[in-house]
Amino acid sequence: MSLTPKGSPVVEAAAGIEHVDGLFSYALVLTRNRSEAEDLVQETYVRAIRAMGSLRAGSNVKGWLFTILRNVWFNQLRQRRTAKVVAMDGEEGAMDFAETAKDPYASYASKVEQEQVRKAIQQLPADFREVILLREFEELSYQEIAAILDCPAGTVMSRLARARAKLRTLLSAAFKTSDFAGKEVME
Amino acid sequence: MNAGDEHSHNVSLYLDNELRDQELEDFRAHLANCADCKSQLEEEHALADLLHRSRPLYRASDELRARVIATQQVSVSGHTPDRLRERVLRLLKQSMGASEFTVFPWRAVATIALVFVLGMAFVPTITRHARAASYVNTALTTHRRYLDGKLPLEIESDSPEAVTAWFAGKVPFDFRLPTSQLLPNDEPAYRQVGARLVNYGDSYAALVSFAMKNDRISLLVASSTSAEAYGGEEIISRGLTFHYHTKAGFNVITWTTHGLTYALVSGLHSSARQSCLVCHQNMADKGEFREQ
Repeated sequence: MSLTPKGSPVVEAAAGIEHVDGLFSYALVLTRNRSEAEDLVQETYVRAIRAMGSLRAGSNVKGWLFTILRNVWFNQLRQRRTAKVVAMDGEEGAMDFAETAKDPYASYASKVEQEQVRKAIQQLPADFREVILLREFEELSYQEIAAILDCPAGTVMSRLARARAKLRTLLSAAFKTSDFAGKEVME
Repeated sequence: MNAGDEHSHNVSLYLDNELRDQELEDFRAHLANCADCKSQLEEEHALADLLHRSRPLYRASDELRARVIATQQVSVSGHTPDRLRERVLRLLKQSMGASEFTVFPWRAVATIALVFVLGMAFVPTITRHARAASYVNTALTTHRRYLDGKLPLEIESDSPEAVTAWFAGKVPFDFRLPTSQLLPNDEPAYRQVGARLVNYGDSYAALVSFAMKNDRISLLVASSTSAEAYGGEEIISRGLTFHYHTKAGFNVITWTTHGLTYALVSGLHSSARQSCLVCHQNMADKGEFREQ
């Protein structure tokens, strides 16, 4: 018995909208430029809608969308020959924050903390940024990440361990505490 | 790989819910007696908690959401996204290129209005998806925190009646667990372990924990005024629509009935139908699951 929903195309297409924050975050991690990231997300949905007919029953739609986004980005990079990387420091202030608390002080503290996390992640090498976002923010499994990155699950695991160690070092420096300074990264 | 490396390796696997069955049991047993692994796990949890508090890392702007939705709407209406994009770009270029300071920018206003109307037309859908995703995330986070020992049960009992009575007056809704319908010789597929209150939005939700042979199952119950069941793979049974989601190696099944929204979280590696059948084999025997 097939359990695939057979709703209208509108419903099926709109379903992917729940991943727009995740895709936008991934796009920013890859491009480091807000405008490029927005275009990349839109292009991802355009490609996804075109290819939706080929999506098999029970497919992992989220992983599929992230794979499309990554492929589109690397195709664009190949076409340009050289990666155009624009620092996003000046744009970060315009980013929408996720409100996590109603209390003004807690909200402020949360924003400061989130800002430190963003800065630390942006200091990571590109392959570390990717794997941290896909695991810690999107909660994808090693297998799902391996499929997106087109590498073995063992590579995902080792890369993730090194990325976490590096991130811990960066964050402990940012917060000037030893909470995250467990191990130094070996690169 | 020496023993120390292997344990460090397993800490990461455990943290990421990648250990299964016997490996998971073995590592839990090891963890109970290994101070180094406990310490390493705490460090990893501290970092993970910090990162999780920062979710989402970035939030897409309302404009981008409207663009994506407009793209979808036009695509399924038979137009190509490229044509939409070209049309919007043409409109934008025309409006921005006009003598903006001498003539009222009708085209710019019309473009903004178009995007706004398209966006507003899909606000109910976006809101439903956002509310549903939020409930699934809460159920999943709660389940994981419970598994990690961060959410101890406030009542431990295998009696549905006792748990129902304990919740009376504590949650802002009338919640009653069904009594067991097992015959004396039936072997239950699961047993109730206990329950506790958890925060959800500005109020409380009820968390009930069940144990199976190799797994734990959490049932989160909240008022349907604050929690929504929507999206995912849909299964209809007995007039109810069940929404099946998989996330981070867990199954989350949500549904709404009688003013309450339920989320059932398990680590089962099976389809939606199989997940439901774990506790409701008799329903399959009667052909009560059907596709939508």
